[in-house]
Amino acid sequence: MKKSLITILSTLFILVLLSGCAEKEQLEDGTKLIQKDQFVFASSGEFKPFSFVKDDMEVTGFDVEVGKAVAEKLGLEPVPKRIKFKGIVEGVKTGRADAAVASHTVNPQRSKHVSFTTPYYYSGPQIFVRPDSKLKNIEDLKGKEIAASKGSTYADTAAEYSKNIKTYDSDITALKALSEGRHDAVITDFVTGKTAIKAGFDIVGRQLIERSEQSIVIPQDNPQLLKRVNTALEELRQDGTLKKLSQKYFGEDITTKPE
Amino acid sequence: MPSLSHFFETFFGKSNVFIDAMLLTLELTVVSIVVGIIIGLFFALLKVSNIKILGYISDVYIYLVRGTPLIVQIFILYFGISSIFLLPDFWAASLALALHNGAYIAEIFRGTIQSIEKGQLEAGRSLGMSPALTLRRIILPQAFRRALPPLGNQFIIGLKDSSLAAFISMDELFNVATTLGSNNFDEMTYLLIVAVYYLILVAILTIIVNLIEKKLSISDR
Repeated sequence: MKKSLITILSTLFILVLLSGCAEKEQLEDGTKLIQKDQFVFASSGEFKPFSFVKDDMEVTGFDVEVGKAVAEKLGLEPVPKRIKFKGIVEGVKTGRADAAVASHTVNPQRSKHVSFTTPYYYSGPQIFVRPDSKLKNIEDLKGKEIAASKGSTYADTAAEYSKNIKTYDSDITALKALSEGRHDAVITDFVTGKTAIKAGFDIVGRQLIERSEQSIVIPQDNPQLLKRVNTALEELRQDGTLKKLSQKYFGEDITTKPE
Repeated sequence: MPSLSHFFETFFGKSNVFIDAMLLTLELTVVSIVVGIIIGLFFALLKVSNIKILGYISDVYIYLVRGTPLIVQIFILYFGISSIFLLPDFWAASLALALHNGAYIAEIFRGTIQSIEKGQLEAGRSLGMSPALTLRRIILPQAFRRALPPLGNQFIIGLKDSSLAAFISMDELFNVATTLGSNNFDEMTYLLIVAVYYLILVAILTIIVNLIEKKLSISDR
């Protein structure tokens, strides 16, 4: 009895020892970086077209190109790093990456743990229907069958307007089902819907429900880096780089605040 | 399910990426098994040492490892340990796997060391050998031979457990499969491909363990 108590107590003691923050290199202006000449930024590599891998496993996409452009403005070597999406915020907090350019939507829960830069693109859920549908806005959704992807914020959004919700493992599958004649509407990110329409899905977009802002994630104990990345983003907005990247991936500019 | 021709096309078309991933899986496995054996032997000896405090230390370690899921241990080494110093990604993964394997290997060694008859120890001592020499020359060689079958089993588990390193950004077999799979909207094909790679690796590992077993059992005849 006594022995097992000692075992458990010493176990807890060891676990307590294992919590806190890594030592980084500090530049003259107070910016902290893992390597003083590199900008290590995380993305998932599993979120097409924002971040995905090419056949040789090299990561690319809108997020990754934005990260590279920011690194150049900072005068640092860009080092993209793939981390599974749900581990990215923790990775930034604990010093596995200097920042994350990974389509993180700014929200209060995340803001408690990390800092956000100014938004580098704007998005939000939109209603998608078949071209012959009369459904136009959120009022029309009442009592209709809506499909969304499982566990996403869009499934929660859909639940606010109708009780009849069907969920799929991915947004693309939901849109595919819609185009084949199932369900009355799908709620998903407007960029995702746009990508699907481009890929030949027989659907159209209707009302944009709300707006979300996507930002770069920076550790809270690194205000100088936050300041410098914000400056870099502003320069990228001014010189048209962000707009050009957006045109390249989406065929339109999603980097300026919509009206 | 993907068609057979699509499966083979992808299997050979992507083989260069998968072979790199397989090499990383092998590196993770070999490092974690070798370090795991050293750790395991060390804690097994602590436990059979008859010195109470050393036995406690061993108990704490084994309880800690067996009492928590491997994925939790990997995350703790990857994210948590960074308070003290930042382990490089590869070593965070290898060390977590080695510490995990080590606990199970320690229990295997402890069991087999204790299974060697007391008479063997007494015989060694009566020939004038020191306890340490008796352990090294008489007890451990026999214990190791008896440990081989369960060790081989643990090696196979260790190989497959290395797939959890995917969650801390290691581009090993499983991670490459899920990433490429979700990128191409074709997860099943890629998961089947890595299944084949794992089967081949396990077959090779089994053959190696069997060969060692045969070699060491010569003195039994």
